[in-house]
Amino acid sequence: MAHADTTHAPPAHPPAHEEETTTGINHRKLLMWVFLGSDCLFFGSLIATYMVYRGQSIVGPYPRDIIDVPITTVSTFVLLMSSFAMVMGVAAARNGNQKRLIQWLWLTIVLGSIFIGFQVYEFNLFRVEGLRYETNLFSSTFFTLTGFHGAHVTLGIFWLICLAIVAARNPAGRPSHLDVDIAGLYWHFVDIVWIVIFTLLYLIGGFDGPPEAGHAAVQGWNWVTGLIS
Amino acid sequence: MSTNPGQEAAMAHDEHAAHEEHAAHEDAGISRFFFGHVPEGVHGGLKQYGLLAIFLAIITLIEFLIIVPEGLQGSGVVIAPLVILSVIKFFCVVAFFMHLKFEHELLWQIFVAGLALGLVVALSLVLLFGVFRPTPRAFSEPRQVPFEHHVEDHHEAVARPLPDELPPPADPADLAPAAPAGATAAGASPGQTLFVGTAACASCHTIQGVAQGVLGPPLDGIASAAANRISGYSAEEYIRESIVEPDAYTAGTADGLSQDYQQGLMSATMAGIVLSDEDVEALVEYLLQLR
Ligand code: HEC
Repeated sequence: MAHADTTHAPPAHPPAHEEETTTGINHRKLLMWVFLGSDCLFFGSLIATYMVYRGQSIVGPYPRDIIDVPITTVSTFVLLMSSFAMVMGVAAARNGNQKRLIQWLWLTIVLGSIFIGFQVYEFNLFRVEGLRYETNLFSSTFFTLTGFHGAHVTLGIFWLICLAIVAARNPAGRPSHLDVDIAGLYWHFVDIVWIVIFTLLYLIGGFDGPPEAGHAAVQGWNWVTGLIS
Repeated sequence: MSTNPGQEAAMAHDEHAAHEEHAAHEDAGISRFFFGHVPEGVHGGLKQYGLLAIFLAIITLIEFLIIVPEGLQGSGVVIAPLVILSVIKFFCVVAFFMHLKFEHELLWQIFVAGLALGLVVALSLVLLFGVFRPTPRAFSEPRQVPFEHHVEDHHEAVARPLPDELPPPADPADLAPAAPAGATAAGASPGQTLFVGTAACASCHTIQGVAQGVLGPPLDGIASAAANRISGYSAEEYIRESIVEPDAYTAGTADGLSQDYQQGLMSATMAGIVLSDEDVEALVEYLLQLR
């Protein structure tokens, strides 16, 4: 590892097997941050697509008919708490407290699953009320964005389950602090994406109705109907 | 945190020394953890993370309370506070839960770069389609040109007429080289001149080398096809009816065409175009040549 007098001090608790790198940053950790940086672009585009088509659906159900802000506030809270459990798990891994690590990991998994449960409930309710993927611009952009987010969470749950199983089987220092730390980065990232989605799609966009008269979507629609009649 | 570097380093050193005496790396001291310079090797514990979690939960609650009054739901005034609150949440999670605050600067440079790119993409899209809102359909639909292989006449400019500024009668000499079988090389028939000219058929129908409309079915080979559209009709009768009474029969996929065409579209347009009996006869005669 780097010497004590280099500009970049070594990480607090370098695992014994950690190799020296030119940047002083573990390569796997660097990789995770690079991935998270690129995932910002992925979600940025999906969110932008939602915002572009926001308020342009010309058939219902519209967000205001169907979005349930109180319930989603609860599920947002649950996801936030899972982030807290996750960070405690990372702290336990750093202290080498295997038992605590397993407990925090399972708590994170349970909270994440509850969040997914809320989403399954919501998607199903939408379907029953007539909002399918292809119903309108709102539904397709909404389902694409929140669906991909749910897929991220689901992947994270599987990842954490694997870590919990490994931790339960190998009391001798596996998974390493770094293993847990990297999974934690991913998990928190999924949480911050939801922070954005919750604000834009629920708190701000959740009360949208059909486009107002004079809106481009209405003009376009009138133009089409004018041609036919 | 705008102390000069020397001072800061000295402080950090002091703090570091003091810290080593008092605490295990578990506890960096709450205010120092959140606001101060935290010496290497110090991470939060239950106290710091618990406090942060409560703080984030409270922000979420406030966000929710903001939109409880019905008057505020969906109104513009809540946007700024909501965005600010969630940005605070966002950066708290990144800085402390993801401990980016304590990491090598390269890591946060990478993340901020990705975040910035994402924001730029999102912002440009929203500006492009949301603010400087073009109306692509109204603009491009009358101008669209179907893809065609121009083997011989690739130098010929393709000028599409707009429905509302109908083209002057095309110069038959221009059309002659590419005109289909049936049109004589010496010049276009009166039917063809009408077709591309005052009768405006060309704005909706395609005939190879003559017209490139897309709203109606292509009319190449209409003379053969017309005989099979309605049983009991000759090709001539069908074509005449298609012109004088377009709604009587609507061509579509059932006829082997690539799409179902819009009933009423042609009649709506033809209502504004006066065709004399001779004009209709000329058109029928012309279309009957398109075998
Ligand atoms: C506004 C666009 C429009 C214009 C202008 C127009 N048509 Fe059409 N035409 C259509 C559409 C759409 C159809 C198919 C639906 C229908 O039959 O009403 C059609 C159908 C036809 C058909 C039957 C095609 C088939 O495959 O069965 C003929 C023949 C025809 N048009 C000839 C003409 C002639 C001749 C003119 C000029 C006098 C003309 N059209 C002008 C849109 C147009």
